[in-house]
Amino acid sequence: MSSLRLLSTVARRAPSTFPAGRRGYAEAADKIKLSLVLPHQSIFSSADVVQVNISAATGDMGILANHVPSIEPLRPGLVEVVESGNTSKKWFVSGGFATVHPNNKLTINVVEAASLDDFSPEAVRANLQEAQRVIAGNGSEEDKAEARIEADVYEALQHALASK
Amino acid sequence: MSSATWRAHFTFNRYSQICARALRQSLKESERVKAEKRGLTALRYQHWENGQGGEQVYLVPPEETEKPKGSAAV
Repeated sequence: MSSLRLLSTVARRAPSTFPAGRRGYAEAADKIKLSLVLPHQSIFSSADVVQVNISAATGDMGILANHVPSIEPLRPGLVEVVESGNTSKKWFVSGGFATVHPNNKLTINVVEAASLDDFSPEAVRANLQEAQRVIAGNGSEEDKAEARIEADVYEALQHALASK
Repeated sequence: MSSATWRAHFTFNRYSQICARALRQSLKESERVKAEKRGLTALRYQHWENGQGGEQVYLVPPEETEKPKGSAAV
């Protein structure tokens, strides 16, 4: 019973620790520290950004400042970073993890990433056809599973390139 | 990861590498050459027991080539 009373006093005290201004979603004055890293390159390294849109396994989500801590596996898909104002940069990532830390930090670890200009739509189309051919063929189950994974990546890539 | 049927065949690491390889194969020609080198894995391992090393096993067997081995001896 005393713990319940303690909980309610803590809840009443919590709002006073927020900054004085109200936080609106349209004009996010707070920024989140983003580290977007690959094994061979670090695209962002503790940089202040306004919003990051990721395609998590559980669905697409946008991460603003002071997001609740969470760990999200990433599907092959787009990562969009809004640094300030209305401009945003996009990268297509092959997969990895996005971790929101308790201290307003976001770490995105991906295996491979490239900006959309670095892709060749013809190569994607040819690769997708090849993968679909393997899926429909009569190889081993392992080869088909591999082709299914690759087909998912190519389809996501085509979708990303189409909505550039 | 739409329908995770691959879990019956692969580990998550392998799945990650397949996705990365698919991405690298879709790059423009100039970028692709640089990226393909990242996909290369050259690993040899050896099992040791009682102070004796076992056979050295390649993780990915190298292809047989006719190139004569170069010598660094001067």
